[in-house]
Amino acid sequence: MPEWKPEILRRLAPLNLAPTREAEIADELSQHLEDCYQALLASGQSEDVAFRTALDELKGEDLLARGLKRIERNFCREPIAPGKASGNLFEGIVQDVRYAVRMLMKSPGFTAVALLTLALGIGANAAIFTIVDAVLLRPLPFKDPSRLVILSESFKSLGFPEVPGSPPDIAVIERTQKAFTSLGAFRNKGFNLSGGGEPEHITAARVSASVFPMLGIQPLLGRTYSEQEDKPGTNVAVLGYGLWQRRYAGRPDIIGQVVGLDRIPYTVIGVMPKNFQFPLPGPKHNDEPAELWIPMAFTPDELQGWGDEYNDSVLARLKPGVTFKEAQADAALVTAEIKRVYPPAMVKIFNGVTPAIGLTPLHEAVTGSVETLLLVLMGAVGLVLLIACANVATLLLSRAASRFKEIAIRTALGASRMRLIRQMLTEGLVLALAGGVLGILIAFWGTSGLLSLVPSSLALPHSASLGGWVLAFVVTVSCLTAVVFGIVPALQVSSVHMQGSLRESGGSGTPTRARHRVQGFFVTAEFALATILLIGAGLLLRSFSKLLETSPGFRPDHLLTLSVPLSFEGYSKAAQVRQFYQQAVERIATLPGVKSVAASNDLPLAGTDSEILQVEGRQGSTPLVSVTWTLGDYFSTMGIPLLEGRIFTPEDRIGSQPVALINQETAKLVWPGEDVLGKRLGHPFPHMMRTVVGMVGDVNDGPLGSKPAPHFYLAYLQLPDDYVMYNNVIVPLNIVVRTSTDPASLTSAVVAQIHSLDPQLAVANIRTMAQEMASSVAAPKFNTFVLGLFAFLALFLAAIGIYGVLAYSVAQQLHEIGIRMALGAQRRDVMRLILIRGARLALGGLAVGSLAALGLTRMMSSLLYSISASDPLTFAGVATVLLAVALLACYIPARRAMRVDPMLALRYE
Amino acid sequence: MGLTVSQTEWKKGSAEMLILSLIEARPRHGYEISKLIEQRSGGAVRFHVASLYPLLYRLEQRGWIQGRWVEKADQRRRRYYRLTRQGRRILAEQLRGWREFVAGINRITEAENA
Repeated sequence: MPEWKPEILRRLAPLNLAPTREAEIADELSQHLEDCYQALLASGQSEDVAFRTALDELKGEDLLARGLKRIERNFCREPIAPGKASGNLFEGIVQDVRYAVRMLMKSPGFTAVALLTLALGIGANAAIFTIVDAVLLRPLPFKDPSRLVILSESFKSLGFPEVPGSPPDIAVIERTQKAFTSLGAFRNKGFNLSGGGEPEHITAARVSASVFPMLGIQPLLGRTYSEQEDKPGTNVAVLGYGLWQRRYAGRPDIIGQVVGLDRIPYTVIGVMPKNFQFPLPGPKHNDEPAELWIPMAFTPDELQGWGDEYNDSVLARLKPGVTFKEAQADAALVTAEIKRVYPPAMVKIFNGVTPAIGLTPLHEAVTGSVETLLLVLMGAVGLVLLIACANVATLLLSRAASRFKEIAIRTALGASRMRLIRQMLTEGLVLALAGGVLGILIAFWGTSGLLSLVPSSLALPHSASLGGWVLAFVVTVSCLTAVVFGIVPALQVSSVHMQGSLRESGGSGTPTRARHRVQGFFVTAEFALATILLIGAGLLLRSFSKLLETSPGFRPDHLLTLSVPLSFEGYSKAAQVRQFYQQAVERIATLPGVKSVAASNDLPLAGTDSEILQVEGRQGSTPLVSVTWTLGDYFSTMGIPLLEGRIFTPEDRIGSQPVALINQETAKLVWPGEDVLGKRLGHPFPHMMRTVVGMVGDVNDGPLGSKPAPHFYLAYLQLPDDYVMYNNVIVPLNIVVRTSTDPASLTSAVVAQIHSLDPQLAVANIRTMAQEMASSVAAPKFNTFVLGLFAFLALFLAAIGIYGVLAYSVAQQLHEIGIRMALGAQRRDVMRLILIRGARLALGGLAVGSLAALGLTRMMSSLLYSISASDPLTFAGVATVLLAVALLACYIPARRAMRVDPMLALRYE
Repeated sequence: MGLTVSQTEWKKGSAEMLILSLIEARPRHGYEISKLIEQRSGGAVRFHVASLYPLLYRLEQRGWIQGRWVEKADQRRRRYYRLTRQGRRILAEQLRGWREFVAGINRITEAENA
């Protein structure tokens, strides 16, 4: 039988076909020629003639190649052996994927560990990115939100870099500015809401009429108010969706009905849609989402109150075409105009300073407070993912070792290096994408779990959905991950020289030393990354424990606090107000279980109003000082120590000598090193000097850990009428009750006493001081918890990493260990050998990680309290923990090595 | 086997149709196809290997036909080509076009010879 194939292959040669394809064509064509040949023989031709006639079918040297040229160029066919060379880079992707899935399913243990590691890494990233997306990346839910800015005032030289606006200044801004299409003010305000059920205390806001159109949100029902209605005396209100549903059962006939706000009738004219939230949480001032909005309606008194109060946030929309920079330049002109029109008497009190106007994009004002936290968390989960990558890479390397023979065979079959790399990367990609899918599940639960822990003091949403961005993020991260952990093993495996590996094939068939070096690098990197995270978490933990050790300056145990706002309608005279609070304090004091009762206009930890004071005999003013009014035995009830002189007595009332108490901060600030008793200090407007009769300890006005502010304490019963009742607004007092039993158990009895005086009153903010303390540290606690969680994850993954590498290397070195022991090495020596190798890896990581942490933790300085970002104790503590974990992780494989039976180990090879 | 120029042109246009129609009823291998064409045309039309297989591969690449290696008892394995669903549709179209063309020609020549 003639050989047809050489003839055919010679003619196919110029086409450079893939070997499998070439063979296939040659098969088919030679079969055809053979058929021809047999037919010719059967018809009686001689062998020679039959051969030449059959061969003539191929028609010369190049006709076949020419005929096939164009067709075969596009003809792709799966190569029989995976990894076989081919002309097209994208050929056989499907085959690669199928092959990868098969290989992964073949080693379920490896796949499960790798998947879990990746899912945790990717899931943690997706969860944090979901929050970052919801808070930092998504535009605010208003019309064209990037054009909205917040205007604020500043008295830098008085120590106030940013305060909200004051009505007369806002009027000047409105008159002078040229950069904004519209501008409006808003301010949070609490009200006793009556009508439609029990009176309740709600968070509301006074908002300029221009704000609703500026935000571009239409009411769900009815309308919002017009500029004409934004005047004192027009009592209209717009309800929030939540309040409307909760209190008025979503009845549409609420429009036109009258509700009582501090007993003043307001007509409901509109209801806002469900998701409308304003003010937004996050900015430093006026950040409580309101349930009801009323016109800002500045009174003439407010508009003339120069330098009086800085409480109104100002929102403005940039004119089309005006840039933020241009608006800042415009603000400078407004600042100059304010300086020009400011009353000279006020300028004198402010030590010659007038406020400067500054602006911040609304988005920045809203997200500024959580930006650092979110970036730190994003960085943390990024590190966790890198650790996960390194872990999977070491796993892949170990596994690749067992595949060297397979690779060698495939190379022998003609697989090119590129093709092998692609194949390995495809495996990585399949793994990473599967990890990504699991990660999305983890992110789904993780996000809602994490957000359910968010304390109200952090401006983070309570829910966030996994949007398209997050999915895109996960896919990107998964692909990057695959490349990061897949490329090194792929490069290493693909560089195997076939002969080398065949020669080594008596053992594992691997270039062991190179692999150990790469694995060692990965483990060191993991420990370095884990060190950074642990130091970050350690710093927060140390900072948090320092915070908890801090004394707030008073005794927070056994204290019940509540706020009792009064309305002008029921209490139109200052005397009535004084009498009510006095009676309330007296009645509550009669309850069993109550040790003492007092009242004040502000409470520690909750922030205060600051004012400028004047010192007798001095030019100019003091910096801002918190002014606190107290009624009853405030200092002993709160547990604030008296340091010098006396506290207030019932004799300190209107008509007697005006007296005041100060705290240590004020003494340090105003009379440093001097005796304070008998000194005089007071308000410039109206001019009223008071004699200091005592000095008390400092308390924390802001959250626990904040710097105590200077305080100026006044006796409530000695206050002039226009303090008690300012612009027809009654300043509400908080009642504090020191109890001998659980303070919360007295709540209903205390409220009953207040209702016995006035059943119409709503009692607000009933809390124990212990709760207040807890919520004051809720934000740092949350930060510590979340970063701690990620650090733990990192440590866990790093421990698995070092364990995996050492366990694997022990398994690989059984032979060597066996020989050593046969030659007389002690079990102890073997163990030491393994432990030293592990410790060396961990120490390397620790050193690199500590150095990196020195640089990186500086980023989180603003989250730390009372320790520096390079706190040596934290660094030392983290080093100890890490080393201990590393040695523990090494101990298990080391023990296994120690128990090697030399005979068995030798036989094994 | 000397084909005139007009024969070559004719063959190019209709070769695809010939192959498709030959495997319409059942799958056939390349040699069988070439033999059938030769026999049924009474030797007037012949494909040699260098032109038949490029054509088969092109049709396969277009998805009109599909080749499969089949091993039958006592025979060497051969590649059998069958018509795909798409090929069946194309064949129907080509046959319709061909019949219309022939009918048109006939009408013209009959009128002339009447």
